[in-house]
Amino acid sequence: MATSALRTQVSVKYAESLEKLLAADKEKRLNPGLLNYSQALTLASEYLRPYDIKDRAAMMRPRTAFNINDVRTAFAMVHFSHQLPALTEIFLEDMRKSFHLIEYEINAYMTRYEINGCRRLRETKNLELFRMLVSRLHDWFKAWHPPTECASPDSPSQTHTDVIPPSLSSFFSGTYTLSFQTRLFAALPPSFARGFKALASWCLAPEDYPPMVSASGAPIKIDAVWTEFEKLGLIERYESVISSVAYEHIERRIEETCPNNWAVPMLPEIREWMTQKVVPWMLKIFTHGVTSRHDTQSLLTGIGARFDFHVNKVLCDLRIKEIFNIIVDYPDSLGALQDLKETLQRVDQRGDLVKFLRKENNKRLLHPGADTQTILQQYVSTIKCLRIVDPPGVLLYKVANPIRQYLRERPDTIRCIVGSLVGDDESGDSLVDDDEPIQPLQQPESEDYGDLEWNPEPIDAGPEFKTNKPSDVISTLVSIYDSKDLFVKELQVLLAQRLLAIDDNDTARVDKERRNIEILKIRFGDAALQVCAVMLKDMTDSKRTDDHIQGQTPSVVHPTVISHHFWPTLDQSDIVMPGQFQQMQEDYAKQFSVFKPDKKLKWLPHLGTVHLELELQDRTLDVDVPPLEAAFIELFSQKDTWSLEELIKAVGNVDRSAAVKALSTWTNMGVIKEQNENTFVLLEQAEDGAEMREMAPIQAAPSLPPVQTVQQQEAEQMRVHWKFIEGMLTNLGSLSLDRIQTMLRFSPNYDKTAEQLGYFLEAARREGLLVVQNGMWRLNK
Amino acid sequence: MKVTIKNWHAIAYWRWDTGKEDEEDGEEGDVCGICRVAFEACCPACKVPGDDCPLIYGECTHVFHMHCLLKWIGTAASNSQCPMDRRTWGKLSPRAAASYGYCQSLTCL
Repeated sequence: MATSALRTQVSVKYAESLEKLLAADKEKRLNPGLLNYSQALTLASEYLRPYDIKDRAAMMRPRTAFNINDVRTAFAMVHFSHQLPALTEIFLEDMRKSFHLIEYEINAYMTRYEINGCRRLRETKNLELFRMLVSRLHDWFKAWHPPTECASPDSPSQTHTDVIPPSLSSFFSGTYTLSFQTRLFAALPPSFARGFKALASWCLAPEDYPPMVSASGAPIKIDAVWTEFEKLGLIERYESVISSVAYEHIERRIEETCPNNWAVPMLPEIREWMTQKVVPWMLKIFTHGVTSRHDTQSLLTGIGARFDFHVNKVLCDLRIKEIFNIIVDYPDSLGALQDLKETLQRVDQRGDLVKFLRKENNKRLLHPGADTQTILQQYVSTIKCLRIVDPPGVLLYKVANPIRQYLRERPDTIRCIVGSLVGDDESGDSLVDDDEPIQPLQQPESEDYGDLEWNPEPIDAGPEFKTNKPSDVISTLVSIYDSKDLFVKELQVLLAQRLLAIDDNDTARVDKERRNIEILKIRFGDAALQVCAVMLKDMTDSKRTDDHIQGQTPSVVHPTVISHHFWPTLDQSDIVMPGQFQQMQEDYAKQFSVFKPDKKLKWLPHLGTVHLELELQDRTLDVDVPPLEAAFIELFSQKDTWSLEELIKAVGNVDRSAAVKALSTWTNMGVIKEQNENTFVLLEQAEDGAEMREMAPIQAAPSLPPVQTVQQQEAEQMRVHWKFIEGMLTNLGSLSLDRIQTMLRFSPNYDKTAEQLGYFLEAARREGLLVVQNGMWRLNK
Repeated sequence: MKVTIKNWHAIAYWRWDTGKEDEEDGEEGDVCGICRVAFEACCPACKVPGDDCPLIYGECTHVFHMHCLLKWIGTAASNSQCPMDRRTWGKLSPRAAASYGYCQSLTCL
């Protein structure tokens, strides 16, 4: 049923076969000495067959056993009969069969290698062993490589050179290399990678290892081994191992040189080390087999960039781990900050930095054990440090928030800040650098749409984040709180304390305070500090008035006359100064009224200091004491024995504890003693051991003037409001928070928000004063 | 024993002498009838209390911050009357107020 199409096909095939036969015939005619195609194939494959290089006889085979011309002819024939693939197949099959020879040898070497293990002492020996294995492998590879001459039939078939493809050699050797490598890779045990790594590592830092010498004692040139590696294709295969060697070295180098070394940037130094040590090593390993300069360059930039990235990453990780201490050490750690800045640009670790620093802050800083001063100090350093690392301030914003929240909860934060603003004498280091320019507090500005320098916010900025110009430290600190009024209030209290403690003639200190206030005026604005200005003016006015009065009638009294509406509330006291004190007060007040006819003086008798001289029978004491102490000793000059109650009554009405404290000042000085309980007697003659006491520096408790702190003032105010609330609830039963708030607004000086009132009521509820039900507050009866 | 005071750094505050006794004066002190600010503080226009913002004493016994009152008198609606009692404003010199004793004028009227 053969169709005509099939028939044509068959006839075509037939014609083709016939033609092939004719061609073979032609070959035969060409090379009459050669038998036929199958013989040629056998000869060629025999010629190529892998042999055992340990076998000396076989080694010589390619040279001796074959007539080179025959072989060439055979190859040419195979080629012309398009049977090269078949020949290749036979060759590869032969190789597969013989490969056990190599495997055997690898195993022998590797077993010895593994027996030696990784012990340091044996390392050199091991390396040598490994090197030998590699060169052996290379020998195998070379021996089995199809000889180049087999593929270049030159002399006898000159006429056919044009038809033999020049790629024959490369085709053959390519296939061979590929197959050899595949088999080799499969045969290499896992420990080979280890050996490879050790070798690479040795090559990178030979000084870490004992000098490598061969059995004869001569140093071994190891460089050649890399060429062999390259030939065997092992470089490519084990590139990750080589990289890991470099990585480990980088890590070790950073580990050794960088920790706790923050003064100078380490990154340039490490890069320098890279160029000196790692780059030559890279060149040695990777540039075999690459000929063109361009290739070398592109190869090295790729690998080099990876290494450089690793340097950055490792250093960045290290610095992030150290960041808390780096901040503590600021400004001695500028180098480390520079490192961090540069590495963060390469490595995306900003999130890690924030996370780590926040964790560290929580653990080490924001706990009750830390001083507020310390926290502020660290916060200020954090601001400065992170401004270096990240000028836009995104990192700072993220890190600073928990600190600010925590500081807001601390009761003494404002006092600390204000204290450092006015340069408190006690705290050694001020938060503010002296060289920082004084500038007004910055208010959050609305966005400037016309800003030509505008840049979008950084990508990791949160929605809350606002780009703002780097503000000075004080502005940042003040901005912890919503309003600066709190600061101004605290400042007044502090200033009052300091001014009242200033002795009359000490104008230098007043001037110092004035300078402080002038500086603060620049920051807070004139209006806010007007009150402070009045306080300072009171100081100078007092001085002037006093000078005038002293000119009229000299007096030992040198009062500071204050405008009490402009000073923080001072503690009240009902002391009446006894004896000569009262006389002096009255005299002075009279003089004052003469000088300022429309004004009169009101004494705050419990404030100030008195410089006294006590003439006792056997000794004279010269002391500075607070007025209450002075009043008591004045009383003792009238009568030798006093009971505590009598004393308290004699000076009007003072706190019992204050009286006891004042008396103990004198007992400590050995001027009086407690005879019976609460009965004190003057010691005209010193008792035994009184000299001893006298030796001790006489210091009458120079406690700060009892100016009410801001908290006290607020509590005082709340007490007033509480009276209102109590009244309201008594009259009206129960009220909602909003109602109470509305009604309280009518009362003078009420400036609390509903929220603050809520806290207050809640506190009152805890005290058991109020109960709340469905949002209605009523008194707890 | 003899106690000699060498030096006494005392603290005091000043009050305007409005002639009232301390007891009736109270702790808080009186406020200006115009600006409702304490006499010893300053009027809203001033920044510094005391001599820079003095009081003014009226014949009608009413006392104000001088600045406050002058401002009031300066307005057309005032008709030069004391804002408290609508009597024609007459100024008593501080000297007079002090020397005659302000309380006297108080009791006179």
